[in-house]
Amino acid sequence: MRSLTNNHPTPHYTMLHHTTPYIISAGETRELVFINEPSTHWHIVQEENSALRVHIIYLSEHDTNAQWQSTLTIEQNAANCRTEIYAMGLLHESQQAHLLTRVYHNIGGGYSSQILKFVLDDQAKGSFRGELKILPNAQQTEAYQTNRNILLSRQAEMLTEPQLEIYADDVKASHGATTGQLDEAALFYMQQRCIDRDTAAKLLLCAFFDEVIKTLTDTQLQEELVEKINRIL
Amino acid sequence: MLEIKNLHATIAGKEILKGLNLTIHEGEVHAIMGPNGAGKSTLSNVLTGHPAYTVTEGEVIFRGKNLLDMAPEVRAREGIFLSFQYPVEIPGVSVVNFMRTAVNEKRQHEGKEPLKAAEFLRLMREKKALVGMDNKLTNRSVNEGFSGGEKKRNEIFQMAMLEPCLSILDETDSGLDIDALRIVAEGVNKLKTPHTASIVITHYQRLLDYIVPDFVHVLADGKIVRTGGKELALELEEKGYAFLNE
Repeated sequence: MRSLTNNHPTPHYTMLHHTTPYIISAGETRELVFINEPSTHWHIVQEENSALRVHIIYLSEHDTNAQWQSTLTIEQNAANCRTEIYAMGLLHESQQAHLLTRVYHNIGGGYSSQILKFVLDDQAKGSFRGELKILPNAQQTEAYQTNRNILLSRQAEMLTEPQLEIYADDVKASHGATTGQLDEAALFYMQQRCIDRDTAAKLLLCAFFDEVIKTLTDTQLQEELVEKINRIL
Repeated sequence: MLEIKNLHATIAGKEILKGLNLTIHEGEVHAIMGPNGAGKSTLSNVLTGHPAYTVTEGEVIFRGKNLLDMAPEVRAREGIFLSFQYPVEIPGVSVVNFMRTAVNEKRQHEGKEPLKAAEFLRLMREKKALVGMDNKLTNRSVNEGFSGGEKKRNEIFQMAMLEPCLSILDETDSGLDIDALRIVAEGVNKLKTPHTASIVITHYQRLLDYIVPDFVHVLADGKIVRTGGKELALELEEKGYAFLNE
């Protein structure tokens, strides 16, 4: 867990391998927040009736060459587990963020949702690969994945690969991925209401990230993130 | 207040307005009617500075200033308001937050201090009551999930908040049942002062039963082809646009 004020303590490319999985014990509720971790490899196993909420945030104002690489593997190994993953990145200049999530429903009756939102400006590059597996024993699983990306410049790039593998038949699962630009109709509507284009774009982008930010329990951190977004934009 | 002279405008290279002239004074309500494709919505888009349209000839003077030189937000701050035919949904931006930003941008343009929180809330309460805007709607995202009537009501509410000199109502009646239409029209009438003016763009005469125009103009093929009093709208309703060609 990191706080915003302490966001560049580790040099780039240090690997934080968790070869033995990190266990969320039965009945436990856990929130993990990763802010600007250059390289994260987490393998988490959830036991019965546990709830896990993970936030992955890429948001650096001054380190214009920052590179982030995150791999998050979560296994639901017992019944009635709940997993929520929220990721957001506002990448600018030459920043890069590459996120891989693996969510494995090994046992049925579980729930997982993933909301991953990226905004890329300048020459920034990002990628998201989401592997979602529902194994034959995992009947009555609910699993959702949404990846939304906004490109603010012609040079920015986002690669997105949602991958669903479903081997059980009684499940609810969906995924969606979109990459687009800011809504021109909304920008003009706001300009017609006295708001200049830059301010309108900031309002739209803060609203875009709000879906992720509002899920943080730490309200002070929420405020810090919004301020930081506004400074970067 | 507004003087449009020989206005020509294109979209994607196609000429839509072909020499339009129109003069509007304070206190007047002008209705613009006409068949589909005549250029009614193009006129409202050109006046508000929509980037898809290009003015190729002519000029527009608004309160002594060249309107066509101004960015869309500057035109709005100078007092031009468009009630959109299709109000845009803005997920995640609440009506309250949107209006606080809009009102304060306008005040800054006028050299006034931003409103304090309490003053802003008082203004909101007053304007909500004036146009019958539901409290629940102002806390929701702008237009998101609003019914057709709620969207149009929200437009009139925003108009009340921004107190424009010239309001353009683009097909405000489209998609409204008769009750919603009456409520919206009442809002517009309440906001009318001797120093404001309105352009009411409409397909049908029925809105003009509620918002009574001083002048009715018929727009056809990019030009105003006939101007009259409110009785012209009734004549059009009865005979259709075809009689203009007789």
